[in-house]
Amino acid sequence: MTPLHRLKPAFWDHMDDSGNYGGLNLKRKWKLIVLLTSILALSPLIIMTLVDFSLTRRTIETESNTRMQNSLHTLAGIMAAAMADNPSSSCAETLWQKALHQLNTGPDNDLFLIDDTGEPVTPSFHYGKDPDTGQTALDISRFSQADGIVDLQTPDGTAVLAGYAKIKGTPLTLVQLRQADWLKDLWLKPRLKMLWFLCVSIVLILLSIMGMATYLVGRIHTSERRRIEALHHEEHANRLASIGRLASGVAHEINNPLDIINQKTGLIVDLLTFGKGQWPDQRLLPLAGDVLDAVKRCGTITRQLLDFARHMEPSVEPVNIEEVIAQALALVETDARQRDIVIQVGPIPAVPEFECDRSSLLQIFLNLAENAITAMESKGILSIEVSRTRTDQVTITVSDTGKGISPEELPKIFEPFYTSRSDRWGAGLGLAITYGLIQEMGGDISVKSKVGKGTRFVLTLPVKATRQPTADGALHLPKSDIPAGSGSQDSPQGEPDVPRQ
Amino acid sequence: MECNTRRHGDHQRKHSDMGLRILLVDDEQEFVEALSERLQMRDMDAHAVFDGPTALAQVQSHPPQVMIIDLKMPGMDGIQVLRQVRQTHPLIRVIVLTGHGSEQDRKNCMDLGASAYFQKPVDIDELNTTIQKHLENEPTALSAPGHFDPSFDTGGGRT
Repeated sequence: MTPLHRLKPAFWDHMDDSGNYGGLNLKRKWKLIVLLTSILALSPLIIMTLVDFSLTRRTIETESNTRMQNSLHTLAGIMAAAMADNPSSSCAETLWQKALHQLNTGPDNDLFLIDDTGEPVTPSFHYGKDPDTGQTALDISRFSQADGIVDLQTPDGTAVLAGYAKIKGTPLTLVQLRQADWLKDLWLKPRLKMLWFLCVSIVLILLSIMGMATYLVGRIHTSERRRIEALHHEEHANRLASIGRLASGVAHEINNPLDIINQKTGLIVDLLTFGKGQWPDQRLLPLAGDVLDAVKRCGTITRQLLDFARHMEPSVEPVNIEEVIAQALALVETDARQRDIVIQVGPIPAVPEFECDRSSLLQIFLNLAENAITAMESKGILSIEVSRTRTDQVTITVSDTGKGISPEELPKIFEPFYTSRSDRWGAGLGLAITYGLIQEMGGDISVKSKVGKGTRFVLTLPVKATRQPTADGALHLPKSDIPAGSGSQDSPQGEPDVPRQ
Repeated sequence: MECNTRRHGDHQRKHSDMGLRILLVDDEQEFVEALSERLQMRDMDAHAVFDGPTALAQVQSHPPQVMIIDLKMPGMDGIQVLRQVRQTHPLIRVIVLTGHGSEQDRKNCMDLGASAYFQKPVDIDELNTTIQKHLENEPTALSAPGHFDPSFDTGGGRT
């Protein structure tokens, strides 16, 4: 699992079940969670940084401006005092040179004097003294007050901050230029470090938010899927149970008329064999035999139906799995040998505490083995493996190399009367009975199949049988052939009549 | 088979000269008449009645050696008949033959002292064999009347 997978929900690309779990749009949920949490977590951070940024900037600017203004003011004061004694331009120049020495001048920090027309009277880095250079004079109108600071654009296009102070008693004004960028260095560089820190934290926060949202929504997704699977499972089980109820009711009702046919035909046979009377037709006896055969078949089917829906308290007892498997395989061995099928049984771990209903387990193995042999028809391998996956669970795998089950058929195989066999004995109840028995034991069965490759049934059975209470207590239909009012003995409320003796 | 019937049935012929006396109780008249005729053909003195009270009256007046009863009958059901017969005539062997057999029914019937339990459709030979077999072990089995468990006398354990 790459780190990217932790950030992206597993269901993102292929939403199963039309992407909507019972009204839960998980994609939208994920987006909403990420968006809201990001806004909540990041906006205070960003706002605080921005406020801090602008505050620092303003403070530093104000401070440096004040300092510049103060120093200019002081210089101008000194110059004014000196010039009051000696009001000559040479004096002014001397004073300026002194001031230049004091200030750390350069192109970034320019100090010069201008007269009342705005022409520089001393050399400047940005404003030449020589009118031949064609440089325009400073716009004197900007320097309206005794001193102050204004933004200026020098002739060579540099944005500067100009501090000025008029020298009292003279037409001269002391001007200091400072590049606007120069200030930036003061506050921007430390701030940039902060900015980096901010960016890194934003990325980290976003990643963790996405990771968390993915995890949470993934959990919702999984549990939702599990819930739906459980619902499907339950629905399936319920359907099987109701089919079982119907089936056993039908079987019970059919048994009565079936035995009438059975006995009447038997009587015909008896009359023909015991009576020694005249045989009306030679074919009569074989015909009656055919009827009896058919009755036997019907009887087998009704018995299977009743097995499927049987309602009996299984006698839970310690069971040796190996023994039961051997017993089941012994019953199918002949059939397997005839079809050239090899039976492989893997090493069976000893599960001494395994408990269940022995006959149910036997029937489960028998049904699965018969099913596998039928699927293979001829030549193939039937393998049974038993492993203990958990302390409280035994996993049994029964696989064959038969014709397999198509994906369309797969969901139907545990339904009663579903059969792929065309011969007359396949009532399609084997797997349905198996399913019912496993459910009764509190176990589960799953099937995987590939057409042409084979089928694998995986059973999980609890080591200690936890019997599931079956809802189908009375598996009877109302008896239709009893006249109304005579009272059905099968209904719980239909109290049997008091004996008349 | 028929020889067996005579040989093992010899000491049972206290009630009838015709052979083993069997009473069939079932509300399915067609069925029970056919079955009774078939048993008669196998040298048994079979009679058919169609409800519980008649059967009990027959038992009083003309006790059979074997009774074959259905469980589900209108009026009085097979369980009640079985219980009554076990109380009044513990020597009579009762075979239950029903189309509505659940495991619980089988258990109940066996607990109440039924000798055998069959589910329809039944094979006549199987039934015959069972009748003979149970008559063979009769003396020992019937010497223990405690076969009947009074705890089941609670209106029937049927669901």
